[in-house]
Amino acid sequence: MFLAVMALGVNASVLDSIRFDARLGYALGGTIPTHIGKEIRGINSYYPGFNFTVAAEVSYPLSQHWSLHSGLRFELGGMDADSRVKNYDIEVVRGDESLSGIFNGNVRIKSAQRRITLPIQAMYSINDKWNVRGGVFMGWLTNRRFWGWAYDGYLREGTPVGPKIEMGTEPGDRGDFDFDANMRHMQWGIDFGVDCRIWRRWGAFAELTYGLSNIFKSDFHSVQPLRPLYGTLGIVYRIK
Amino acid sequence: MSDFSHRMSFAVVVAISLVMTTLCTSCFGDEPDGCEADIEVVTLHVSSPEDFFFQATDSMQVVFSTDSVVTFAVRSGADVSALSPVLTLSTGATVEPASGSTHDFSQGPVIYTVTSEDGKWQRRYRVNVVPTMVTVTDTLRYDFEHYELETATQRYYMWHNTLPDGSLGNDWATANAGYRISMSTAAPMDYPTTPLAQGYDGAAVCLMTRDTGPFGRMANKRLAAGNMFLGTFDIRIAMSDHLHATRFGIPFTDRPDRFTGYYTFEPGPTVQDFYGNPIVGRTDSADVYAVFYRNHDTAGNEVVLYGDNVLSSDLIVAVAELDYVAPTSQWTAWDVKFEYREEVDEQLLANRGYSLAIVFSSSSAGGDFIGAIGSRLCVDKVRLICRHEE
Repeated sequence: MFLAVMALGVNASVLDSIRFDARLGYALGGTIPTHIGKEIRGINSYYPGFNFTVAAEVSYPLSQHWSLHSGLRFELGGMDADSRVKNYDIEVVRGDESLSGIFNGNVRIKSAQRRITLPIQAMYSINDKWNVRGGVFMGWLTNRRFWGWAYDGYLREGTPVGPKIEMGTEPGDRGDFDFDANMRHMQWGIDFGVDCRIWRRWGAFAELTYGLSNIFKSDFHSVQPLRPLYGTLGIVYRIK
Repeated sequence: MSDFSHRMSFAVVVAISLVMTTLCTSCFGDEPDGCEADIEVVTLHVSSPEDFFFQATDSMQVVFSTDSVVTFAVRSGADVSALSPVLTLSTGATVEPASGSTHDFSQGPVIYTVTSEDGKWQRRYRVNVVPTMVTVTDTLRYDFEHYELETATQRYYMWHNTLPDGSLGNDWATANAGYRISMSTAAPMDYPTTPLAQGYDGAAVCLMTRDTGPFGRMANKRLAAGNMFLGTFDIRIAMSDHLHATRFGIPFTDRPDRFTGYYTFEPGPTVQDFYGNPIVGRTDSADVYAVFYRNHDTAGNEVVLYGDNVLSSDLIVAVAELDYVAPTSQWTAWDVKFEYREEVDEQLLANRGYSLAIVFSSSSAGGDFIGAIGSRLCVDKVRLICRHEE
């Protein structure tokens, strides 16, 4: 009985000290190869998608400077990258049919995801104004799209000494691919952030997120492993 | 303090920009070495080309990626005992024996081995220089008895004609290699062009309009008509420019007079349009024709006819076309006369300046991806009867 009262008492004071934040951010970034091979010769263009993040987060103080930080984030992610490649291994699959080989030319990749993320971070409050955070996150993709095409180049079908097949620019003349079904639902990785209180309850934050899991399933080899990497800038509002 | 936070935010922006910029530029390693090992062009330089070649353009041959034999047909009196072919190779590739080295081609072909820049891939080529008699024959016979699975992939059939000396030639081409791009799992007998063991007389060739599967639907190229033609198929542009992938015609040194043979034609049940929608009330039609044409334009450039001009080019000299390929499941004979539009130049004929294309297709509008899947044209015992000036 006494313990229960104690626990309630503690809980009440804990609840008092918990901080609630709401965040709205815009992310710049996308999915990047774990290692940019020599096969990628240049980026023709890169557009980040419409990458908004909305989050509700809590901080639980552990000591004067340290807190445990968590919450739920709803993220829209995407990108549109156009790169020039040489000796690039590609495989295009449709149903039971596939076309694979070594491609020289240009590859356009578009992706779009909706993700719910649970971050678990240690937060250090430098002073009343500045916090830095770091930790891990788990993400679940509720919607995932990954598609694109190989164009303005040629494929050596099968091997570098196989038939040479030119690919044009228009749909039907180029090599389209669509790998939605090959993407993983789960993602995890690390992220680091910094918060700065600017005025009353309002502040700004910056965050760098790096996925440690390949965005594709492990049995998928049509595209080299890609991981999410993006930076987010936004505003934070202290609810309590 | 506010100034500090501004600087901090700015620093974060700069950091993120730097990461992105780094990803976009400085991480790219050195350009990888080439992995291709092709001979792309072979050029023969000789002291008096007009005595050596039939046509000036014969001195240079562009080699398809699928070819590993290069043959120069030269005048019968030409001295081929000391020639130095110049080879254009894939970027960075090397060749043994060297490009420009001198060889005796009277002893048969010279074998060149090309190694890719990265050293991992090799291709072997046979280069022939063959003194060629301009033969005069009364009748050319195409019986479709000699067929085999394509050597490299073993996925589809190809045909050989019998040359006057009894050896086998490669005058017939099909678009089967193009079908393989969209239907990698198809069995050899599911391709548009297949052999028929029991034809009118021995084996025949069967052309059937086929569904191109999920890739074809994605690309709005929903069907592939079965075809068979004298000429070559250029797989390089099968996807990007299909009408130019069928290169109709081979050099021909006789005057064709009549074009005969036997066929069966059974149109497929439903003609579909470009988008795959049925066209009610339309019956599919087949193509059976032969075209005799000048193979150089007025500027002296070598010419072949393509899917989009084989019946309309200004260079056409004569056409023999079966106007209506009436549907029939019985072997039916055709015999059509070449309609000449202009006189044949004897000198040009002797210099291999004319080409002949024979074209069969199971769907006439197959080039526009219109036709009935299942339309089936079988052809056998094709004859080309030539006439000679007295």
